[in-house]
Amino acid sequence: MVRRRRRRAVGWLLVAVGAVAVIAAFGTGGAGATWQAKSYPRAQTLITSGTQWGNIAGMNPYVGNNAAGMIGLVNETLLRYDPLHNTYISWLAKSTKWSGPKQYTVVVRSGVKWSDGKAFTGSDVAFNVNLARFNTSRWNNLYQNLKLPIQVKGNSVIFNFKGTPNYVQWQNMIWNMPMISPVQGKTIKTAQDLTTYNPHNPIGTGPYKLDTSGYDVTTRVVWAKRDHWWASDQGVSPAPAPKYIIDLVNTSNTNSLAAVLAGVEDLNNNYLPGVNKLVDSGKVQTFFPRAPYMLSANTAWLEPNTTRVPLNDPVFRKALAMSININQIVTDDYQNLVLKASPTGLLPTWNKYVNSKAVKAYGFKYDPAAAKSMLLKAGYKTDSSGMIENKDGSKIDLAISVPQGWSDWEAARDMIIASAKQAGIRLHSVVQAYNTWQSDRNTGNFDLVIDNAYQISDSPWTYWNGIFHLPVISTGTGQTFANYERYSNRTAWNLTQQLDTTSPSDTTTIKSLNTSLQTILMKDVPMIPLWYNGIWAQMTSKYWTNWPAAVGARQYIPCMWNGYLQMTGIDTITHIKSTRQAAGG
Amino acid sequence: MLRYLLRKLLIYSLTFVVAVTIDWSIPHLMPGNPVLALMSRIQIQNPQVAQHVYASYMRSFNLDLPLWKQYYYFWVSLVHGDLGTSIMQFPTPVSSIILHAIPYTLGLLIPATLLSWYVGNKLGALAARRKVLDNTLLPFGYILTATPYMWIAILMSFLFAVTWQVLPVGYAYDPTAGRGWSLTFGYDLFRHWLLPFLSLFLVACGGWAIGMRNLIIYELEADYAHYLESLGAPRKLVRKYAFRNALLPQITGLALALGAVIAGALVTEIVFSYPGLGYQIYRAITNEDYFVIQGIFLFIIVGVLIANFVVDIVYMIVDPRTRIGMQEGGQA
Repeated sequence: MVRRRRRRAVGWLLVAVGAVAVIAAFGTGGAGATWQAKSYPRAQTLITSGTQWGNIAGMNPYVGNNAAGMIGLVNETLLRYDPLHNTYISWLAKSTKWSGPKQYTVVVRSGVKWSDGKAFTGSDVAFNVNLARFNTSRWNNLYQNLKLPIQVKGNSVIFNFKGTPNYVQWQNMIWNMPMISPVQGKTIKTAQDLTTYNPHNPIGTGPYKLDTSGYDVTTRVVWAKRDHWWASDQGVSPAPAPKYIIDLVNTSNTNSLAAVLAGVEDLNNNYLPGVNKLVDSGKVQTFFPRAPYMLSANTAWLEPNTTRVPLNDPVFRKALAMSININQIVTDDYQNLVLKASPTGLLPTWNKYVNSKAVKAYGFKYDPAAAKSMLLKAGYKTDSSGMIENKDGSKIDLAISVPQGWSDWEAARDMIIASAKQAGIRLHSVVQAYNTWQSDRNTGNFDLVIDNAYQISDSPWTYWNGIFHLPVISTGTGQTFANYERYSNRTAWNLTQQLDTTSPSDTTTIKSLNTSLQTILMKDVPMIPLWYNGIWAQMTSKYWTNWPAAVGARQYIPCMWNGYLQMTGIDTITHIKSTRQAAGG
Repeated sequence: MLRYLLRKLLIYSLTFVVAVTIDWSIPHLMPGNPVLALMSRIQIQNPQVAQHVYASYMRSFNLDLPLWKQYYYFWVSLVHGDLGTSIMQFPTPVSSIILHAIPYTLGLLIPATLLSWYVGNKLGALAARRKVLDNTLLPFGYILTATPYMWIAILMSFLFAVTWQVLPVGYAYDPTAGRGWSLTFGYDLFRHWLLPFLSLFLVACGGWAIGMRNLIIYELEADYAHYLESLGAPRKLVRKYAFRNALLPQITGLALALGAVIAGALVTEIVFSYPGLGYQIYRAITNEDYFVIQGIFLFIIVGVLIANFVVDIVYMIVDPRTRIGMQEGGQA
C-alpha cells in the first residue's frame, strides 16, 4: 500500500516536472508575435549570424542593437558604396551631384514603392533628412548647415547650404542614412522620440519585410522576401534567391563555430580563431581562398596617451612603434587571418591615397635595436638591467590594456609587451572589463590601449577625424568618439577640416591633404597602426553557393554587420544561388 | 504557529529591503559608464551631437539625478511594478526581457533540479546500502559533481551536436522552425532542451547522491539507529527512519536550489545559446546594464526568500521536532 502510494507520488512528480517543462517551453511568446506553425524551408532560407550580440532591441535604425539586416534589407539608402572599387552605386537616388558649390541635388528614382504600396518620392527624402533636425541624430551637425526648407521639385530634392558644405560627411550621410517611411516616422516629434521610435512592422523599400510570426527578440529575426522589389523589377539588381533570411542572435564565438561546423549557419560574421584550417580543409570558404582570407574592416591601433610622459615625446612613440613585431602578431596570433597595417594606418581600400615616398621617408619598421639606439641618442637613459628610463632617470613602466576576454587582442598585447622589452621599453598589462576599459580610454585614464574605433568608409577623412579631432574634452564624459590619444596638433586638425570642406572634384587638393596628414601621422606617431582587423566572413555551401570571392565578378562584401549591407553586402545576397538551383535541380 | 509565521514574515520583509538596497547599489558601484557603451554603437562623428545624445540618454535613465533621488525613484517604480528600461537594449523594458527569458529558464532548471534531486537521493541511498554500489557509484558521483558545468556542456555539444550531429548545437529551437502549438514544434523544443538539461542534471545528480549517501551513513551511526537494532528491528526499518532524517537537509538544499533557479544556469545557457535568464544576466553585467541587473537580481532575491519561507513551512510539516518545539514555545 505504502509502496503504491510512493509510486503514485513519484508518478505525479514526473508529470508535474514534465508539465512545467512543456508549459514553460511553450511560453516562448516572443515579441508579441502571432503563433503559427509555419516553418521556413531550409533550402530557401539563408541563415546568418555574427551581427546581433544580445537581444534584438527593435526596429529603430537610429539606435544600436536594432535587428540585423534592417538597413539594407528593409530600409534602404539613396546611394550605396563599393569600397573595393571605390564607387558609389545609385540606389534609391537615380542620381546625386553637387549642382553648385553650396548645392546638392538628389534625383529620386521613379517606380520605387514602399512595402505598403505608396510611392517613394522626393518628399520622403526631405522628410528623412529633416529628421536630422533633432540633436539626437548623428547627422544633426550637417543639418545645422542647411538652408530651410529643403526644396522638393517633383523627383528632385535640392539641398542648399548656408556655408561651405562638409562634402565628405554629407556624402557619407547619403549612403548611410536609412529611408524610413513617413507614415511610421511621423510619430517622431521630439529628439527623445527619435531614440524610442520602434515600429512593430517596419515599412521599407527593400527586398525584404519583417516576418512578425518568426521574430523572437532572444533568438532570431526573420526577413521574408517581398513579391516585388523595385531593383529587380527595373533590372538594377537580380532578385535575391533566398525566400527567407534568418539572422541569429550571437552568444559567443565558440557557439558560432559549433553552429558553422554543424551546418546551421550559411554565412557567419564572427571572428573564429583557426578558421583558416577550416578553409584549408574545404569545410568553409572565405573571400580569399588563402591568407589573408578576409577583407579588411578597420585598423587596430596602439593608442598612446600623448599627455603622459614619455608618450608625449614623438621620438619615444616612434621607438615604441619600431619595437613592435607586428608580423609575429599576424602569424602567431591571427594565423594570417589579418594583414599587417601600413605605417600610414590607411586601409587597403584607400591605397590610392598612400604616398609611397612619404612612407619610405617617414614610415617605421620592426627594429628593436634601432629603436633603443634612437632613444639613447634622444637622451633617454638605461637602468642597470638595460631597460630604458626617462631623461630625468625616472622609471618607465607603461600599462597597456585591452578589453578583458578579447582573446586575440590579449595575445597581441602580450606579444607587444615581449617585443617592446627587446628595445628596452618596459610595459605591463592591465586587465579590465570592456566598460571600464572604455571609460578609462574616454577619460584619459590610461597609458596605452589597443583600439579599432574607426571603420571602413568612403574617405580616409573618417580616420583623420578620429585621430586629429579637436578640441580634446577633459571633463565630464571626456572624449566620446575621437582623439582618445589626446593629441593636440592644430595644423593636422585644420588640414582634416579642410579635407572635409574640399570639393570632391578637386582631387589634387584631396590627394595633397591626405599626403600631408599621413606624413604628420608617420612623423609624430600619435597612433601606432598595427594590423587590419578582418571583415570576418565564413560561408558554407550546403544550401547556398555563388558566394563572393576575390577572383571573378562577385567581388562583394559577404557581411551583415551594420553599415555593410548598404555597401555591397546586399549584392552578396542578390547573387547567391541555391545549391539545388546551381546544380540544375 | 501564527506568531511564528508573522515573525518569519517580518524577518523576510526586512531582509527584502536590505537585499534590494544592495541590489540597487551594486551596479552603480561598477566602474565604467553604460551610456558611453550604448553610444559607441552609434557612429557619431561630431562632439556636439555626441554631447546631446549623451545628455538625452542620461535623462532617459534618470542617471543625471543625484544617487539618493535615483534610489527613491527606484522604490517608487518598484511599487508600481516598473523595473525600468534596459540601457543596452534601449528602449526595451526590463520586464519584457525577463518575461522572454523566464520560460526558458524555468523549463530548463526546474526539471533538472527536481529530477537530479530525486534520482540523486535515490542513488545516494542505494550507495549507502551496499558496499558494491558505494564503491562504484560514489567515485562516479564525485567526478560528476566536480565537473564544471561549462566543461561538460562543451563536451556534450562537441560530441552530440558537432561530431555525431544527433542533437542540435544550441538555441531553444531550430532556426527555421515555425513556433506554434504543434507536436513538431514541441519535439523540436525537446531536442534543443535535452543537451542543456542533461549537462545540468548529471552534474547536480552527483552532488545530491554524495550528500544523501553521507547523510544516511551518518544517521545509521546515530544512537537511535543502534537502539533500534538492539531491539531487533529489521535493517529495513532502521534504514527507513534514517532516510527520513537524512532527507531533511536535502529538502532544505532543494528549496534553496529551486529558489536560486531563477538565476538560470549561466554558463550552460551561454554554451548552448539558450536564451534564459542566466544569459541575460551575463550580458547585463558585461554591458553594465544597471536596470536589467537590478531587475533580474530582484527576481532572484524574491525567489530565494520564498524558497526559504517554503522550507520553514515544510519543516513544520515534515519534522515533528519542529512542531513540538513550536507548541512548547507557545505553551511556555
